[in-house]
Amino acid sequence: MNAPRSLQLRLALALGLAVTVLWLAAASFTAEKLRHEMDGLFDAALEDAAQRILPLAVHSTREHRRDEEFREDKRPERRGGPARAERIARLHKDDRFFTWVVRDRKGETVLRSANAEKEAFPPFTGEGFRQTATHRLYYDAAGRDGLTIAVAEPLSHRTSMAREMLLSLGLPLLIVIPLSLAAIFFAVRTSLRPVRRLRADLSQRGARNLAALSDQGLPSELEPIVQGMNQLLDRLRAAFEAERSFAANAAHELRTPVAGAIAQAQRLRAETKDASAAERAKEIETTLKRLNLLSEKLMQLARAEGARLRTDTPADMRPILKLIVDDFARIGAAPRLHLEMPDEPVLSDLERDAFGILCRNLIENALKHGRTGEAVDITLSPTGVLTVANACPPVADEDLARLTTRFARATDKKDGSGLGLAIVRTIAERGGGELAFASPIPGRDEGFEVRFTLPRSDAGSE
Amino acid sequence: MRVLLIEDDTVLGAAVRDQIKADGHSVDWVARLDDARDTLSAGVFDLILLDLMLPDGRGVPFLKNLRTSGAVTPVIILTALDQISDRIDGLNAGADDYIVKPFDLDELSARIGSVARRYSGNPNPIVTIGPLDIDLAARSIHRDGKAVALTAREWALFEAFVQRPGQLLSKAQLEERLYSFDDTVDSNAIEVHVSRLRKKLGRDIIETERGLGYRLGHP
Repeated sequence: MNAPRSLQLRLALALGLAVTVLWLAAASFTAEKLRHEMDGLFDAALEDAAQRILPLAVHSTREHRRDEEFREDKRPERRGGPARAERIARLHKDDRFFTWVVRDRKGETVLRSANAEKEAFPPFTGEGFRQTATHRLYYDAAGRDGLTIAVAEPLSHRTSMAREMLLSLGLPLLIVIPLSLAAIFFAVRTSLRPVRRLRADLSQRGARNLAALSDQGLPSELEPIVQGMNQLLDRLRAAFEAERSFAANAAHELRTPVAGAIAQAQRLRAETKDASAAERAKEIETTLKRLNLLSEKLMQLARAEGARLRTDTPADMRPILKLIVDDFARIGAAPRLHLEMPDEPVLSDLERDAFGILCRNLIENALKHGRTGEAVDITLSPTGVLTVANACPPVADEDLARLTTRFARATDKKDGSGLGLAIVRTIAERGGGELAFASPIPGRDEGFEVRFTLPRSDAGSE
Repeated sequence: MRVLLIEDDTVLGAAVRDQIKADGHSVDWVARLDDARDTLSAGVFDLILLDLMLPDGRGVPFLKNLRTSGAVTPVIILTALDQISDRIDGLNAGADDYIVKPFDLDELSARIGSVARRYSGNPNPIVTIGPLDIDLAARSIHRDGKAVALTAREWALFEAFVQRPGQLLSKAQLEERLYSFDDTVDSNAIEVHVSRLRKKLGRDIIETERGLGYRLGHP
C-alpha cells in the first residue's frame, strides 16, 4: 500500500498507529505483570490454605484414631460427634474456590472437602506446586503421621479473574484510543496550518507573480524552504529581467548597424547615375530589410517568451493600438486600415509592449495576406476583444490549425517571416488572453479573422 | 532648415547627414551629448534628430532637460529602441516624432518636413501663393499649372520663406538655415539663390528690404 500523499494524514496515521500500539503494549505488559503477581497471590493463598487445613486434618485424624480406640472401649457418648471432614470443611467455608484431599501414607483418602473430585488430584509425589490441565495444586506433607494434603484451585477461576482484569484494563482503551486519535488529528491539523496557508498562497498566485512569499509566522522547518523558494524567485526574476534586457540590447545592437547599411544603400541608390549600380543597391537594401525583419521577429519571440507579460497596474490599451495603426498608416497603409475603438478606456494588465507586438503582428499579417487594396478591419470592443479581419479566400481548417506553428506560412509568399502568429500565440498563452481564428469570417463567406480577448485585470489579478 | 543630428553610429550618421543635405538643409552632426549641448548653445537649430543611446548618456533625460530649460526646437527621436513603452517615454519627454531604426531615408525626410510644417503653424503641405501651387511634402511647385524644378538649396531657401509668410529674414539667418558650421559659404550665396528663385517663380516672389533682409512677396 502506498503511503497517503497528504502530510497531515500521514502524520496523523503514523502518530495514531504508534500511540495505539504503545497503549496496547503498555496494557498487555501491565496485564501480564498483574497476572504474574496474582498468580503469586493465589499460590500463596493455596499454600496458606494447605498449611491451615493440614494441622487440622492431622489433629482430626488423631482424634478419629482415639475415637476408634475409644469405640473399642465402647464409649457410647463419644459416638455422636460430627463427621471430621464436615467439621474441617465448615472451618474453610470461605475457601470456596479450593478443594482438597488428605491422604494417608498408602494414598488412601482420609479426608476431603465436600466438593472435591478424586480425579482432580494426582497422587502425591512431593511437596510444592503442581499444575494439571484443569487445576493448580499445592501438596504438603505432615511429618510423622505420613499424611499428605493436596489443595486444588480450578484454573478456570484464575482465567476468569485474568479476563476480568484484562477487560477493566482494556475497556478504557476503547474510549481513550479513539479520543487520542482525534486529538492527534486535531493537533496535526492545527500544527500544519502554516503549511496550508503556504499552499494556498502558492496556488492562488498567477504564473506572472514572482513576488517573495511571506515567511511571517512560519514554523522553523518551513522557513528554509520558503527562504529557498524566495531566493529561487529572486533568481527567476533576475533571469527574466536579464533576458528582457538582453533581448532589448540585442535588438539595439543589431538595429543600428542594419539601419546604417540600409541608409547607405539608399544613399547609394539616390546618388548613383549608374542604373545597374542603383539596382544592386536596391537588392542590398531589400536583403537587409529581410534580415532586419527576421531578427526583429526573433527578438519579439524571445521577448514574448522571456518577459513578464502582465503588469501590476492595468493600463488603457487604446493608445497603444492607435500608435501601431498610425505606424502602418505612415508607411502607406492608411487607406486600408479601418480602426474602431470605444470612447471609454479599455483596461488590461497585459504588458503594453506585449500588446504592441501582438497588434503589430496581427495587422502586418492582415495587410500581407489580405487581398491587395481591400480593407483590414481592426476593432477593439469595450469589453477588451480585439478583432483583426481581412478579406481573402477562406483558409482551410487544417491550415488554420497550422498557422501558429513557427515558420509556417499560409501561402508561399516569400516576404513573411512565418513567425508573426507564433509570436501572437506565445503572447496570448503566456499573457493569459484568449486567441481564436476564424475563416471565413462569421457572417461572411470569405475572409480571415483573428479574435484576441485581452486578459482582464479584475479577473487576472487574483 | 538647420538640423542638429545626434548619432554615434558613423555609418548611419553619414547616410542621414547626406540625405538631409541632399534635401537642401544644413546639418551639424555630433556623436555625444556633451558636443550636442555645446553646439546648441552656439547656434539656432530648426530641428534636432536625437538617438537615444549615446556613449555619454541617454537621450530621454537629455530631451527632458532641453524641454525643462524652455527649448521649443522640434525633436525627432531616431532609435533602435522599438518598444511601445520606450516610444511613450520618448514622446512624453517632449519628442515630436519617434522613428525606429532601421528606417527609410525618404520617410525620414517626409517626417522632418511634417514636423517642420507643424511648427510653422500650417501642417497642410499644400500652399497656394498667387499663381504658385506648392506641395511642400512632395517638393513640387506648379506655376500656372506648369511644373517648376528647383535645386535642393533653392527648395530649402524657398521653404524658409513659405514657412514664415510675411516675416523678415536676415541674410545671416538664411545662411544659418542653409549652411552648417563646417560649410564654407560664399559671401553672396544667398543673393545668388534668391535671384534664381525670382527667375523661376516670378520677380515679386521675394521682396528685398534693403540692408535688412528678405521676405515672401505677393506675386
